Amino acid sequence: MSVGLKEPRAGKAALQNPDSRKPVTRKASAQGRQPGSSIDVQRKKLLVPFVGPAFVLYTVLFIVPALGAVWISLHKWAGSGPMKFVGLDNYGRIFRDPLFLSSFGNTLLLLFVVGAAIFILAFAMTLVLRDMAGKKVVRNVIFFPHLINALVFGVLAGFIFNPGGMVNSLLAPLGVTDPPKWLAQDNIFPLIMVTLVCTTTGYFTTILMAGVDRIPPYYYEDCALAGATAFQRLRYVILPLTWDVFGTCAVLWTISSVKIFEIVWVFGGSSGAGVPPTQSWTAAVYTYVNAFSGQSTPAYGAATASAVLSLALISVLVVLLRRAMRRDAVEF
Amino acid sequence: MGKTARHLRPLAALLGAALALSTTACGGATDASSAAEAVDISGSISGQTINYWSMWKDGEPQQKVIATAIADFEKETGAKVSVQWQGRSNTEKLVPALNTNNVPDLVDGTLAKLAPVIGETGQASPLTSVYSYELDGKTVSSVIPEKFTSNGVFKGEDGQPWMVPYSISSDGIWFDAAKHPELKATPPATWDEFIEVLDKLKAGGTAPIAADGDIAGYNSTWFVTSLLRLKGAGSFKALAEDKSGAGWDDPAVLEAAQKVETLVKGGYLNSGYNASKFPAQQQLWANGDAALILNGSWTPTETGSYAAPGFEYSSFQFPAIGDKPASARVDFIGFAVPAKSKNQVPAQRLAAYLLGAKYQDALGTDAKVLPVRQDAPVDPAVASVKAAIDAAPATHLQNDGVTFPGYTEKVFFPRSDELFLGKTTASEFVAKMKEAQIQYWKDNG
Repeated sequence: MSVGLKEPRAGKAALQNPDSRKPVTRKASAQGRQPGSSIDVQRKKLLVPFVGPAFVLYTVLFIVPALGAVWISLHKWAGSGPMKFVGLDNYGRIFRDPLFLSSFGNTLLLLFVVGAAIFILAFAMTLVLRDMAGKKVVRNVIFFPHLINALVFGVLAGFIFNPGGMVNSLLAPLGVTDPPKWLAQDNIFPLIMVTLVCTTTGYFTTILMAGVDRIPPYYYEDCALAGATAFQRLRYVILPLTWDVFGTCAVLWTISSVKIFEIVWVFGGSSGAGVPPTQSWTAAVYTYVNAFSGQSTPAYGAATASAVLSLALISVLVVLLRRAMRRDAVEF
Repeated sequence: MGKTARHLRPLAALLGAALALSTTACGGATDASSAAEAVDISGSISGQTINYWSMWKDGEPQQKVIATAIADFEKETGAKVSVQWQGRSNTEKLVPALNTNNVPDLVDGTLAKLAPVIGETGQASPLTSVYSYELDGKTVSSVIPEKFTSNGVFKGEDGQPWMVPYSISSDGIWFDAAKHPELKATPPATWDEFIEVLDKLKAGGTAPIAADGDIAGYNSTWFVTSLLRLKGAGSFKALAEDKSGAGWDDPAVLEAAQKVETLVKGGYLNSGYNASKFPAQQQLWANGDAALILNGSWTPTETGSYAAPGFEYSSFQFPAIGDKPASARVDFIGFAVPAKSKNQVPAQRLAAYLLGAKYQDALGTDAKVLPVRQDAPVDPAVASVKAAIDAAPATHLQNDGVTFPGYTEKVFFPRSDELFLGKTTASEFVAKMKEAQIQYWKDNG
């Protein structure tokens, strides 16, 4: 996240005077070991009342439950009643479970394949949209799918792809008498991937566009004068100048893709009335089914173990991503 | 650094405070409930209050019946009932509540959902007193048919019943009696007669069977019921429990799978059943585009709004295979009282109260569901199912009551789907199940 959060204009002024961003008073207080200037004292006083409530809430609502989850993952537990300590058994069992591995593979497919498709399309759209007439309207239109509840897509998929649905009705007059089985169990996950690309591309295009809009027009004029193609403009102007925005988007996608759940749940398995076919499970669905499927005794230990693994996955991927995308922010 | 450390100190203090706060909030969360004793529930409960978490939502037909019962109960006993009409998620909300001391006094749900949450974890009170409580001169246990209780599905580890059912659900092979009066007059009793009916329907140009193939629970009913017809109630549970997996080598198991294969290979299932989304296929059935559907006793209420005009609901039981006495599927909806509840007496009294004739009759005629009492009248749409249950010598639960953690969703459903959707043959299914089950018990044994 640091790429996005890094102060974008930490440039020239800082180089000329390394201390210019820090409060002038700081040096004095540090050297003299005095109580410090009134600003510093005020700052310290304000730390607890300002940071405290958020910190306490965050600890109580996120950190403690996360630690609790790690604790539960070491047990065999039905959610209530006696807990049996089993050590790392749940983790070992998960790694041996081909279903977890295939669910995890689906999560990786979403993360990398859908992610790549989204960002390629999003960059392509930013190129087109920048010069397009009525781009504000278009932006709203492409952002719109992101606002719709995933449940709607689950229900729509039925209308569109059922054997007697819209697609097959449209294909029939064209002489297609034996159309593909769109909603067969093996086809559901590819459909989910396509749906995710359609619904998420607009969201990231909008964020990237905000970054692109920041680029001063004279760079484009320069490009025009130098006879640069659209691709060269992307390569030498847009990408370097929106790198920090892109980095943030990549982190956001990583985090959200690992948590994708509801669209899988409503796409297969009758819009949530049953468990979706295992071919379309993601790691998040695997976690949920273990604890809340309603078809068998809940296995909270196995569920939290798979949730803890997902958390570890996100952490590792975010750190790697930040490393890979580390660049000096370009000043402009 | 010095500055950082000074900032860290108050934060560390805050962290400590926060941790302390959260541990006190969860205090006592892990203490398991002690085994509760049955209590005497005959005394006066005037002025006492109970907190009831209902599986029904405001406005549902069952909710209306229960709300009437509660109003009468309050007037008669002077107790006060505070109800939360939570809907089906009440059991999911119950799980975290059971870890605190703030539990509801009364909950209801299906046996399938309550058993793993409260029954098998020993967190429910024994309701022995409810069963012996007298309503209009009859004990509760005498108005619940014996075949529902004789197999011990309501009993906990201590041998005491922890659940009192007030309503049941079942299944059957449904059809439109207005269109197929011959099926109502002479329903197919054996598997061979059933196949004859299917062939006749197919020859007449009607798709014989509609099935929403995306619902694993519906798909698996074909195999499970075939097996129960061959080997009797309880045989699927015994098969699933077998750690060696050897049970799958039994020729009867293969025969049950072959029955499913016959339906798939014979082209008796409506085209597109394996690539559609619920409720597309049952809609098509209710429109008259397919003749039969294997589904629950809720089918008339669930499909009533879109059924073809003049549709007359009727059903016959899954045909007999072999000579075992055919059991009827009966799933239960009823009450349980958490062991930690401090208002045991009024809660158990209300559980008994709903078995009164007035409310049982209302469940059958107003809510159009199946009441648990055999003497309660039912709606004509489910009369065929009730007759079958009344006639059946034994009953079985959905999936024969198998609830081993993850077995159904991760081992059985995926493979039974493959069989029913025509992706594997009967013998491949049996081999795959055997292998997966051995692995399952190795991991979970």
